[in-house]
Amino acid sequence: MRGIAFFIAVLLSTTSYATTRPPYESTYEPRPTTAFVIRNASVYDGTGRFLPNTDVAVVNGRITAVGTNINVSGVREIDAQGQWLTPGIIDVHSHLGVYPSPSVDSTSDGNEATAPNTAQVWAEHSVWPQDPQFGLALAGGVTSLQILPGSANLFGGRSVTLKNVPSRTVVGMKFPNAPHGLKMACGENPKRVYGNRKSAPSTRMGNVAGYRAEWIKALEYKAKWDAYDPASDEPAPSRDLKLETLVGVLEGDILVHNHCYRADEMATMIEIAREFGYRITAFHHAVESYKIADLLAEEGICSAMWTDWWGFKLEAFDGIKQNVALVDQANACAIVHSDSARDIQHLNQEAAKAMTAGRRMGMQINAAEAWRWITLNAAAALGIADETGSIEVGKAADLVLWNRDPMSVYSRAQQVFIDGYLYYDRQDPSRQPVTDFALEQLSGGSE
Amino acid sequence: MKRFAKIWMATLTLLWMHAVAADVAIRNVELHTMTSAQPLQNATLLVQQGRVSAFGPDVSIPEGVQVIDGTGMVVTPGLVEPHSQIGLEEISAVTSSVDSRSGEQAAGPGFDIQYAVNADSTLLPINVVEGVTHAVTAPAQGQDIFAGLAAGIVLAGDRTVVQPQLALFGAVDARAAANLGGSRAEVVASLRRALTDVRSFRPSRYEPQAGQYSKVAMQALAMVRKRKLPVVLHVDRANEILQVLRIAKDFDLPIIIRGAAEGWKVATQLAAANVPVIVDPMNNLPDGFDRLGARADNPVLLHEAGVKVAFSVSDSHNARQLRQLAGNAVASGMPWSAALRAITLAPAEMFGLNAGRIEVGQAATLVLWQDDPLDVTSWPQAVMVDGQWVEANSRQTRLFQRYRDLAAGKEAGFTYR
Repeated sequence: MRGIAFFIAVLLSTTSYATTRPPYESTYEPRPTTAFVIRNASVYDGTGRFLPNTDVAVVNGRITAVGTNINVSGVREIDAQGQWLTPGIIDVHSHLGVYPSPSVDSTSDGNEATAPNTAQVWAEHSVWPQDPQFGLALAGGVTSLQILPGSANLFGGRSVTLKNVPSRTVVGMKFPNAPHGLKMACGENPKRVYGNRKSAPSTRMGNVAGYRAEWIKALEYKAKWDAYDPASDEPAPSRDLKLETLVGVLEGDILVHNHCYRADEMATMIEIAREFGYRITAFHHAVESYKIADLLAEEGICSAMWTDWWGFKLEAFDGIKQNVALVDQANACAIVHSDSARDIQHLNQEAAKAMTAGRRMGMQINAAEAWRWITLNAAAALGIADETGSIEVGKAADLVLWNRDPMSVYSRAQQVFIDGYLYYDRQDPSRQPVTDFALEQLSGGSE
Repeated sequence: MKRFAKIWMATLTLLWMHAVAADVAIRNVELHTMTSAQPLQNATLLVQQGRVSAFGPDVSIPEGVQVIDGTGMVVTPGLVEPHSQIGLEEISAVTSSVDSRSGEQAAGPGFDIQYAVNADSTLLPINVVEGVTHAVTAPAQGQDIFAGLAAGIVLAGDRTVVQPQLALFGAVDARAAANLGGSRAEVVASLRRALTDVRSFRPSRYEPQAGQYSKVAMQALAMVRKRKLPVVLHVDRANEILQVLRIAKDFDLPIIIRGAAEGWKVATQLAAANVPVIVDPMNNLPDGFDRLGARADNPVLLHEAGVKVAFSVSDSHNARQLRQLAGNAVASGMPWSAALRAITLAPAEMFGLNAGRIEVGQAATLVLWQDDPLDVTSWPQAVMVDGQWVEANSRQTRLFQRYRDLAAGKEAGFTYR
């Protein structure tokens, strides 16, 4: 696939003007900040550790020191005595911006339900940066989130990972260098959507045949580009946006995020990945992951799960509140996701409920371990764990200060930092994002 | 298996195994009866033959009564969900398991869901083991302004429908407007027309014309007209709330407003009209043009204005989230006791349901929580409904037991590769 990269580079060199920035690439830059240190916080660090009475120093938006009584002077001090500090929450499954508020036909941009394979569409080209829901999620401590296309199709399109910052453009929100994801969907949704139209797929076996046929095309397309020598006189193969996305998966540049509820279907998806030589990064919704947690651990596949959604369709009938805890206990990667503009505002509560459900059944899980489910594990599934997801030296200062233990329903994010910049302050209305749509119309950016 | 502490066996089975009328004393608990202003600390609650026989600081415990030490624990009444389709919707997307919606437009207010309530629904045990003991189960909104007649149900025990026809449900919102051609004005006018028609309704002489309600529908409206049951209208936008308040006054209707996303804007008027509201404290999304004014502290502002407030999850499968709603209301500024009231006594009183309180002489329906019931890190140690301990099992606990130890797979009886 070196050929296509060269081809695109040639295109850019002949067509770009005014800027050398590659198209669609992030324009986000951390806002300038002065150094500061947060003192004496109770810390869930995102890696599974609880650190009492801890100081965290931030310089140029990066975490430069974590410890007790750390020696920094001449910088702004934030006294966090009695407060809690966590990494910013990361939601791996959101439709903010593509299904914004208000929810009406003209804003419904999440499902390109016109063909079973729409791998050519990119969620970022539906995102409305002015969706008021971004600000509500920020008030809940969410600093990064993956926006996915919907699940009507076998291949729904590319996802995008965003920083939860106000911006006039979607490229201004894109998480720099985060890989794209590919949304795939199993089960009831694709077979219902296309079966109702008397077209394929209308069955689960039709779903599987559909994935395989597309991967075969992707392999052929890849071979064509691999054989192409840009230095030769032969014409370049024509580009296919759909297959470019699938080839991106085969080459490991695009991560597969696979909507899949039932355990047996997840196992079948693993067989397909085996056949075509790609990796599944995460199963989303995954209400039956607990039934195959050992298999998922062995395959190194994450499960992104709700705590208590179940029963809205038959493939969600076996959802149990201990799913997250059981997956975690099997040493498989467990993530709590929202898929909801409401619950994204309370992912700390969702993690707390998942922990509590396990504890109620006698499982031993502590709060610091549970915090991985909405921070570092989520970052890993998005390919951004080197940058964010935990409070460790060298990482971005994506931080949330809470007025009390965030495993409590009574806890509220007080201050939310992204790359060290204070984007949200519960006590300061000027630090609460207000979208254009909200002006003189909504009840403010506060939760 | 080592990670499963023995408390699973020890505490849970101890408290959950008695499916007979209880003779039990719970000692040293924080007791919220909902009938006294303050909770009782270090209280003893005595239940004999399934009825509350005494509670207070100095209750003598007769011989032969099982004693539970509730130190550090909290007792509340069973929780009450004021709007659900529990027993009517098993799997929402499987139509043959859903009985909540009438396909017959003319049924309107006469659609009576009591006949469809499935006592064997898995939703009952799944919610009751989390402390939800009672619910109003209501028809879902169809084409008509009125969805139909709801029933009061109890989620455990031999009888499920305890109060049929306990309220008439309907809606004055964007969807109701869309069904009538587009304008909310048409919904208000239709509502007024129906209520005017029912004034002259005589069952023996009634012959419905085309487009008019059936006799059964008119009889349901007549019950509301005679104030025999409340009408619960889903209304979110401030303007329509005011319109509904005017209608309630003009027609002397017992009314409850559900949704009330913009209720805070007209809280004074709601309080003055003595109209209670059913709200979702976690619904702060401006996700429709009826709800642009949605905000998380809506229930707080309503409560402070003197409006009677109950909470509803409006998601039957997860009615168990009721206490999370209450906890979030507290975080938004609502007094803790008012938030507990909003998921116990307040909804029970709105519907005249015999639930939501602990009273001497009454059948005991209560939850013993190992910690603060409104926080997400607590859980019920035991649930009693009508004087009987509820079994701890639900379909979900059985699935958990089947898969909790994949290596052993004892109960599953099969392996994976």
